[in-house]
Amino acid sequence: MSVQTESLTLVEAEHRRKLLLDPIPVEEMNRTILRAMTTTGRGYWITVAILALLVLIGLGGAWVYQMIWGMGVAGIRRPVFWGVYIANFVFWIGISHSGTFVSAILRVFKAEFRRPITRASEMMTTFALITAGMYPLIHLGRTWRFYWMIPYPNQRQLWPNFHSPLMWDMMAIFTYLIGSTLYLYLPLIPDLAMARDHCVRGWRRKLYRILALGWRGTEGQWSHLQTAITIFAFVIIPVMFSVHTIVSWDFGMTMVPGWSSSIFGPYFVTGAIFSGVSAVATVLLIVRKTMHLDYFLREEHFDALGKLILVFSFAWTYFFFADYLTEWYGGEAVGHQILTLQARGPVAPLWYTMLATNILIPWLTLWNKKVRTSPTALLLVTLGVNVGMYIERYIIVAGFLTRNRMPFDWGAYNPSPVELLISIGSLSLFVLLYALVSRLIPLVPVWEVHEGQIAHTLRRIGRTLVPSVAEME
Amino acid sequence: MAEPIVLMGLFNEVDPAADALDELRALGISDDEITVISGVPYSHHALGRPKPWERLPFFSLAGALVGFGVGIFFNVGTPLLYSIRVGGQPLVPIPPSAVITYEFTMMGLIIATFLGVLWQSGFPTYSPKHYDPEIAMGRIGIFFRCPPAKEEQARAVLARCGAEKIQRAERRPL
Amino acid sequence: MNREHKWTMVIDLDRCTGCQACVVACHAENNVPVVGEEEVLRGRAMHWIRIARYWEGEYPDVRARFLPILCQQCERAPCEPVCPVFATYHNTQDHLNVQVYNRCIGTRYCANNCPYIARVFNWFTPYFPEPLTEQLNPDVTVRERGIMEKCTFCIQRIRRVEERARAEARPIADGEVQPACVQSCPTEALVFGDLNDPDSRVARLAKSRRRFRLLEELGTEPAVIYLKGGEAYVGAD
Repeated sequence: MSVQTESLTLVEAEHRRKLLLDPIPVEEMNRTILRAMTTTGRGYWITVAILALLVLIGLGGAWVYQMIWGMGVAGIRRPVFWGVYIANFVFWIGISHSGTFVSAILRVFKAEFRRPITRASEMMTTFALITAGMYPLIHLGRTWRFYWMIPYPNQRQLWPNFHSPLMWDMMAIFTYLIGSTLYLYLPLIPDLAMARDHCVRGWRRKLYRILALGWRGTEGQWSHLQTAITIFAFVIIPVMFSVHTIVSWDFGMTMVPGWSSSIFGPYFVTGAIFSGVSAVATVLLIVRKTMHLDYFLREEHFDALGKLILVFSFAWTYFFFADYLTEWYGGEAVGHQILTLQARGPVAPLWYTMLATNILIPWLTLWNKKVRTSPTALLLVTLGVNVGMYIERYIIVAGFLTRNRMPFDWGAYNPSPVELLISIGSLSLFVLLYALVSRLIPLVPVWEVHEGQIAHTLRRIGRTLVPSVAEME
Repeated sequence: MAEPIVLMGLFNEVDPAADALDELRALGISDDEITVISGVPYSHHALGRPKPWERLPFFSLAGALVGFGVGIFFNVGTPLLYSIRVGGQPLVPIPPSAVITYEFTMMGLIIATFLGVLWQSGFPTYSPKHYDPEIAMGRIGIFFRCPPAKEEQARAVLARCGAEKIQRAERRPL
Repeated sequence: MNREHKWTMVIDLDRCTGCQACVVACHAENNVPVVGEEEVLRGRAMHWIRIARYWEGEYPDVRARFLPILCQQCERAPCEPVCPVFATYHNTQDHLNVQVYNRCIGTRYCANNCPYIARVFNWFTPYFPEPLTEQLNPDVTVRERGIMEKCTFCIQRIRRVEERARAEARPIADGEVQPACVQSCPTEALVFGDLNDPDSRVARLAKSRRRFRLLEELGTEPAVIYLKGGEAYVGAD
């Protein structure tokens, strides 16, 4: 064997570490996915039981308690009329940007590494939106009258007020939820058909049969599906941008010092993508371990996600600094009070933690490929990012409201146990939904992976082998 | 006359399948009588099939227009019908109206696209149709109506092009 | 006979002693609940009008400044556009910022957007122990938990006077409409009336060189005019 052939073999082996250059028979891929979907061990059921209990206590117990006794059981007060609930709301909307970024933006930019992770992240979007959507109800003083925000003809001749950013919120989130769920469902249909054909268990067969809608894979069906997926991919990106911009305008449209900033739109969207992509990495790391998806989720995916997280850390820092500098340099006197509140006030420890987890740690670690490809390190960094992003929302919502233009009416905010229980309940709901649905539908779109593997070949260029992607469409 | 029968050939790769399609066409079986079912999408270029006319974008456009109309009704119609003044803002404020109208347009577009897929594909449909579960394992299935006289030749064509499975197509419930 | 009224309140800070009679009168007139000491410490007090007290100077030269703050009934109220259900809007009859209790679903967005922090929220169901229920004003709704409320310029009193004047076919006299706070102020620091009436007391006081409006630079166009007070000002009125 010549030196040349040897090195080519090494090069090829190196390339074959990538999923799309390492094809195995489709039967095997499908079997792996079906096994991951149908295997539920004891640890799984214990986790589900604990989560269900937390949801019951938090949402069933604490929320009902709050509805019966009144909002006073939460820690909110005058002038901090919004607290943990709205911070949670904004946080979960931020997490919801995960799926769309991966499955839509990466698809539009033809980033091939998105193929195995689109569904897992799109599921995160749907469940994060469901979790977020509960908070506008939870924080209402009269939750039972929430339906007055729905525009429907009634005998009182009243329509909701479309001047209000809360109405924009409702429409945007509803649109995004529908869009994201349909965008999750459409590429799922061929995989559901596969499960329908090859899943043995009785109730599962019935379920997949119904959900697969009679899919076979004829040319017409593929043409319609692919056109729809392309349309969705392009359409859901502006919807995603608009959703978090509109949520940020809940604050931006007001006269509250610190909130009334025109940069909130881009700032929040960037922060949402930052926190969303970090959440995707967190969830995928856990899913890969617990569902044995090592074939599909490889080093390259976490490497790419890690780089994206670093890039968005830069972007977030840019917007954060632009906002901070503007307030610091020429803001009203009350603006200075708000900056002091962050740097030296009661929220200072939180603020510095946020700077560390959002800027310092990603900048110091994510440039290094070893960190990005080490599951433990990446898990810690991405969890840290989301802790930091939560703190950012908390400080903006609850922190800024403690200071206003009338110092006699400043007030401190301390979250109450009810708010904590409801927060835990909603987080558990998100994880529970994810855990349950991950065992109901195939988590990796095998047809997309197969499509990618068909398109990828190793091509000889000069003395080396190079991966080459064919444009199959 | 004898009824035409439906034959099925399963292929592993797209090249042999495209060869088979060419040879079947040479045999006198027209494109209308051939259905190609696959586990992953192949463009009509790759298979050598006639270009499909995709009507879905028109559904999406119609949906967007309906959504736009709904948005205009909510922003312009409802304040003019039932006027309530707030905050010194005009009754029909243009910048906020843009936000809501945009969202409804997108909602219309999205829902119409999804319904369009269902309509165009005839979903949901569970009645028995020609299909083979192996297709979901990444195969390409060529189903075609063939006059009984040509069955032998058609089978030979499929075998020559390397089909994995050749048999009379069955209608399976989906 | 019927011209549009521009209801305005003038608050003379030179006369305010910080006695809080207005606060108590407002509670009594408008069925505003008393929340108890514990809740007040948690920031849940429900005063529709409050006396903001600012200390000035160092000991022993300390002075207190009293600033009665109530809903400013802004012409361009920032609280109005943000309510998703139109529970607060600008009344075309009185040009006041009105709060519709039955419509409020409790998002508290209006409270956040009020730069004067003039709005209060019912954190719990208001509790009026017997026999205080005998003292409730039948002209004013008793609110339930989850609803925002604020000063209304005693709109029930405005209505009563308007109805009487219409029944008697005469214009409303200056000083006939007296909100509870204005009625109870011992030093007449609070004056209420129709700014459109050139002979009214508020119209004359509004021309004072001591006049200012709170947070005027925000452009909310408040209907409450303050007159600067304290020894700092030297000069004719």
